[in-house]
Amino acid sequence: MDLIINLTLNGLATGMLIFLLAAGLTLIFGLMDVLNFAHGGLFAWGAYSGLWIYSQTGSFIIGIICAILTGFLLGIITEKWIIKPVYGNHVQQILITLGLMLVLSEMLKVIWGPNQITASPPDYLKGSWELGGVIIIKYRVFIILVGFLIFTGVQFLLKKTKIGLVVRAGVMNKEMVQALGINIQRVFMFVFMIGAGMAALGGVLLGPYSGVIHAGMGMEFAILAFIVVVIGGMGNFKGSVLAAILVGLSGSFMAYYVPDLSLAVNMLLMAIVLIIRPQGLFGAKG
Amino acid sequence: MTAIVLVVAAFLLLLPFVYESRNLLILLTQVFVFSIFAMSYDLLLGFTGIVSFGHAMFFGIGAYSMGIFMKRFEPTLGYFFLAVLTTVVLTGIVSFLVGLLTLRLKSHFYAMLTLSLSGLFLVLAEKWRTMTYGNDGFTFRVPELFIDRTNFYLLCLIVMVAVFLILKRFTNSPLGRVLQAIRENEQRTESLGFHVLHYKIAASVMSGVLAGVAGILYAISLRFVNTSVFAMDITLDALLMTIIGGVGTLVGAIIGAGLIEFAHHWLTELAKEHWIFERWIIFFGIIYILVVMFFPRGIVGTLRTLSWNRKKQPAVKKEEKIAG
Repeated sequence: MDLIINLTLNGLATGMLIFLLAAGLTLIFGLMDVLNFAHGGLFAWGAYSGLWIYSQTGSFIIGIICAILTGFLLGIITEKWIIKPVYGNHVQQILITLGLMLVLSEMLKVIWGPNQITASPPDYLKGSWELGGVIIIKYRVFIILVGFLIFTGVQFLLKKTKIGLVVRAGVMNKEMVQALGINIQRVFMFVFMIGAGMAALGGVLLGPYSGVIHAGMGMEFAILAFIVVVIGGMGNFKGSVLAAILVGLSGSFMAYYVPDLSLAVNMLLMAIVLIIRPQGLFGAKG
Repeated sequence: MTAIVLVVAAFLLLLPFVYESRNLLILLTQVFVFSIFAMSYDLLLGFTGIVSFGHAMFFGIGAYSMGIFMKRFEPTLGYFFLAVLTTVVLTGIVSFLVGLLTLRLKSHFYAMLTLSLSGLFLVLAEKWRTMTYGNDGFTFRVPELFIDRTNFYLLCLIVMVAVFLILKRFTNSPLGRVLQAIRENEQRTESLGFHVLHYKIAASVMSGVLAGVAGILYAISLRFVNTSVFAMDITLDALLMTIIGGVGTLVGAIIGAGLIEFAHHWLTELAKEHWIFERWIIFFGIIYILVVMFFPRGIVGTLRTLSWNRKKQPAVKKEEKIAG
């Protein structure tokens, strides 16, 4: 029982981190038809910049805020200078975002050096609670809470606000939204910014969770996020959270019982989804 | 154009007999190997308009098949050919399955599935220790014929020229024409009655098998194989070479491979002077982004456009041909 609860919490926490990455990917894809291969780079930048500020100031909160700001900033730069010039050309978009990924992760090595950087949670999140003989690590609960908070926040933004309405309309039919006199370019930039911010937040949260960060982690998590985006359905926000939890849980349980197969199971899941339901497991939008 | 290619090929053929530099020979061998790899990539990206982010997996399958056959059995020509056969079969199957799964969907899916599948192969190579010796890799002996560097240099050159000619023929064949039509306008090709999926899968398989061949030669040239053959870097190399050289030209892939390999060599030397050159990939990344943005046809494509503009007449004719 103890073990199962811990594995579940672990899977949920990993799932939430993947969700933070995948949510941005799927929103950006749904709205702009751009699959951002540089998203993992934004994730890694969030981790490095946030943890650097955290180590300088000693405050984890300031670190998180800085990571999100870095994400916003990089998101705006990416959208404006890298993706906007090639809107409408799929092949060029895919190629250019991968190029950006390359530059982003190399820049990390130039600035912070090629070695791994260690990180640990702040004192108030260290250690664990004991509930009826079950040991629960605080930091994992913290990640799950933050992930849940972000999910509710974005869901609120999408469902209850004016801008969310425009975003949802844009996902359905871009041209119509434009024809109604809404500047869709501004909405694009806003969504890109939010997506990048979430990715950066995911990165900085991962640091103390895994203990070390390195420049290659962006790509590792981006692969999981792509799997999630396919399973959840491209452009489906709610699908992405369910798929992320699914992938996180299957990863954590497989890593314990059959460690060699953990990535393979997720790949297999993705292959099956591609065969029978290419529009994703959740939701009907194709 | 053909004349230039022939002269260069003749020059490269005679080079090892007149100029004895082991380093240059090894470097050129590497260029040939990566030319094959980049050309196979060009068939997908430049001629069919498919983006693959996991081309390294075919390369890696080739490299590991050769390595494992040479290590487990005797390093003889017989086992060499058996390894080649294994590579062709394996890469063929994998590329066929990947194509079957994703090529009927939007272009993003192929990029994503290849990316994650190559990640899976990397993990497999790391974990299947009894077969691959994990991360450290293993050295192996090669058939006697290839021990001599000059012989191997010539083999790589011949294979490269052969692949070039085969792909040239392939892309100019009716099948290749359909592939280019798919690149230009998929819906239209479909509505003309071509079964687009079949053609795309054919391109995917052809490209995968040739990438496997490149992997075989790479493994023999190093006489060593480890998990780095499955790494993202290998795919990125192919991307950089094809994009910078010029997509859809084949020659561009060769030029790109030469440029990148030589530049890599020089910049590694320069790294002793200043550490920034150790991160040489960042320069290529920036050049790559600029090329994609401003010269999407690469070096060869841009040069061709320039020379077409100079001779207006043939350019018009060419357009008519495409439109017809």
